[in-house]
Amino acid sequence: MYWEKELETLDRNALEKLQLERLTKSLRQAVNAPCYGQIPEINNVIKSGLKSIEQIRELPFTSKEDLRNGFPWGFLSADKREVVRLHSSSGTTGNPTVVYHNRHDLESWANLMARSIFSAGVRDTDVFQNICGYGLFTGGLGFQYGVEKLGCLSIPAGAGNSLRQIKLMRDFGTSVAHAIPSYLGRLFDVFKDEGLDPRKDTRLHTLVIGAEPHTEEHRQRIEELFGVKAYNSFGLSEMNGPGVAFECTEQDGLHIWEDAYVVEIIDPITLQPVAMGEIGELVMTTLDRQAMPLLRYRTRDLTRFIPGACKCGRTHRRLDRIAGRSDDMFIIKGCNVFPMQIEGILLKLPEVGDDYRIILDTMDDQDEMIIEVEVKKEWFNGDLAFLNNLERHITRLVRDEVLVRPLIKLVEPGSIPKSEGKAVRVFDHRQNKI
Amino acid sequence: MTYQISIFLENKLGRLEKVTAVLKDAQINIRSIHLNHTANGWGILNLVVSNPELALELLNQSGMSAALREIVVVKMADTPGGLDELLKCIAKAGVNFTNAYGRVVDDGGNAFFVIDIQDIPDARAKLENIGLEIISNPLVYGV
Repeated sequence: MYWEKELETLDRNALEKLQLERLTKSLRQAVNAPCYGQIPEINNVIKSGLKSIEQIRELPFTSKEDLRNGFPWGFLSADKREVVRLHSSSGTTGNPTVVYHNRHDLESWANLMARSIFSAGVRDTDVFQNICGYGLFTGGLGFQYGVEKLGCLSIPAGAGNSLRQIKLMRDFGTSVAHAIPSYLGRLFDVFKDEGLDPRKDTRLHTLVIGAEPHTEEHRQRIEELFGVKAYNSFGLSEMNGPGVAFECTEQDGLHIWEDAYVVEIIDPITLQPVAMGEIGELVMTTLDRQAMPLLRYRTRDLTRFIPGACKCGRTHRRLDRIAGRSDDMFIIKGCNVFPMQIEGILLKLPEVGDDYRIILDTMDDQDEMIIEVEVKKEWFNGDLAFLNNLERHITRLVRDEVLVRPLIKLVEPGSIPKSEGKAVRVFDHRQNKI
Repeated sequence: MTYQISIFLENKLGRLEKVTAVLKDAQINIRSIHLNHTANGWGILNLVVSNPELALELLNQSGMSAALREIVVVKMADTPGGLDELLKCIAKAGVNFTNAYGRVVDDGGNAFFVIDIQDIPDARAKLENIGLEIISNPLVYGV
């Protein structure tokens, strides 16, 4: 079952031919923007003509810094008159990043969004509650237009106010909801406080979770708590927002829509493409955007292509879940560590809670990685040996994963602040930070 | 069955006092205290109290990790060599414990010795076999 069978199942050659046609058009459009118009490499590629999609490597990268430097109009490629909407990051540090859309762009985005949720099994008979901030953040309006395009009954619930969210779900028989994963834990607590069980007291069958990196274990915990299937959604405002890549019902990676984007995965240091299946930084080029095409945008998200074909029949390649941010990574004792690697280990252990903290500190002139974890109340039995073994067990698991021996520190339950939104997990107090 | 209450504590200023405040408010008497502290900044506090079940409920309510653990308490003489004599008996009985602590009970020359061990029924049987007196709950809890 496909939203657009032909496009979603194009064979590789036909897909690359389509990409080549669209990239040529995009480049011509992009040079209308002051920031791109002055770059000789782009003009050279346009002049000599594109023969293969690999030639994209002749183009320069675009970074978040470039977008900020071009604030506010430097990357606008269309007449201001035809632009109908902008989305923007909060921009608390420096200039915000702004993305402009014309009518064509919004229509194309809504279609990708509808295609995405359709692939996760959502149909026009569903009631879709969007638990997400509306406004400059793309998760609200992005989903809204896609859900309407697909034909669900949409409930633009917005973020927060858990009691009202639960009431809406129960009053209108919500069957699908979209939220960030860390919020769903809190929502479940409110269900519990109200004496309700979302498995019995709602008609939810699907949750869409995204905007925040999370592990497979975290997804399974959400599926268990709510008694639903939970699908991973990936997007970033520079590439529209949600609807960039999405899990189909196979739940085996996120199809990234290659008729709308050229996707590269590069080594963030050498800037060369990594081998198939290796983790690297995701780099994306828009193919169907007019007001603001972006070329080889460095997303800073780390992921990999999942090799092989998906059982669903879609030919667009699949991304693995985000393994972290190239700027989240820290280096300790010469090893690259991503907080998501540690989270993956902790969430597999039933004895410890979901919240944790990684503290990097210098002790006796040595850099140390201290991981604070909460032992769940129900596992405490007063046995010292049990807790000592647990400490040793976690130490070994983390060491085997990241090759650095951590100091595991057990702390009292509830003593680590609950994650609110995108949680900060790493605290670097080292004297000579790398 | 006789119980101690065990509480998970981070080694931070005021943590122990959080426990004693809860017990004070409920008028629960502490009969014996033993703190097991690790090098990693946490430890386990073991207490013999006048009402362990109530203490467990109240400490859990105030957010702490607490658990009841069964113990066996035997009598020893509050005189030089009292513990030595008792330990000889315990060794003869074949009971090998990892955690223990004691307390003077009264002016009559009695003290008690708390043994915290995994297999309590086995330990109790062995100790009774060699004729050691197992102290009953009212005396242990002091009620």
